[in-house]
Amino acid sequence: MNNFTRYLTIALVAAGLAACGKKEEAPKPAPAPAPAPAPAPAPAPAGVAVTSATLGSAIGADMRVTAPKDAFAKNDTIYVSIDTTGAGQAKLTSRFTFTTKDGKSVPVKEDSQTISPTGPAVTEFHISKADGWPVGDYQVEVLQNDKVVQTKRFSVR
Amino acid sequence: MSHDPPDFSKVKGGGSSTSPASNDSPDFSNVQGGGSSTATKIYEVKSGDSLSKIAKREYGDANAWPRIFEANKDLVKDPNKIFPGQKLKIPPK
Repeated sequence: MNNFTRYLTIALVAAGLAACGKKEEAPKPAPAPAPAPAPAPAPAPAGVAVTSATLGSAIGADMRVTAPKDAFAKNDTIYVSIDTTGAGQAKLTSRFTFTTKDGKSVPVKEDSQTISPTGPAVTEFHISKADGWPVGDYQVEVLQNDKVVQTKRFSVR
Repeated sequence: MSHDPPDFSKVKGGGSSTSPASNDSPDFSNVQGGGSSTATKIYEVKSGDSLSKIAKREYGDANAWPRIFEANKDLVKDPNKIFPGQKLKIPPK
């Protein structure tokens, strides 16, 4: 074995030993899978929802106001007709108030009905005053389960 | 010479006007109210109620009580016995 061969052998052995000592690289973590698409939100429970409130001085057999208006005469009966959609149970409240000249709110009448519709429904509330309404500005708030969902202003002239 | 302050202790006051009295705090104690619905209503029985009283209030006709009784046969076995707190279904008019 000549010197060249000897050095070559030593070099190869050294390289082999170095290779053996090299730490194995940890396998790269697999990329996180793409997040699964979020499940579609569950449909909201088909509860009762107030869709509109209409004021007038007369209603038909369907409980709807026959001629909507927001200015009343002193001897009118004042109706608020409330349209709802959906099924379930809901407490509807009408809260009539008079607004004084300095902006204070004076309670007039508050009534509630708990309804249990199976589909679209109409619910009415009405108020009357035998000796006539004081002239001025009023409003009615419609509440569903004690939360105001509609507000309508009207006047008596 | 002293200048004593004038004495206003015996001054009296008052007033009147030709304008009508203010209606800033009108009386709404005699307001009548009510309501009805195309949907079935739920009514909670109060002390002193009877089916005929409820029928009178809801339908304007005390003789309409059997409608309420029929709608609540699962709850009311005897039309003469309803109890405060019971929740009755009131069919629409």
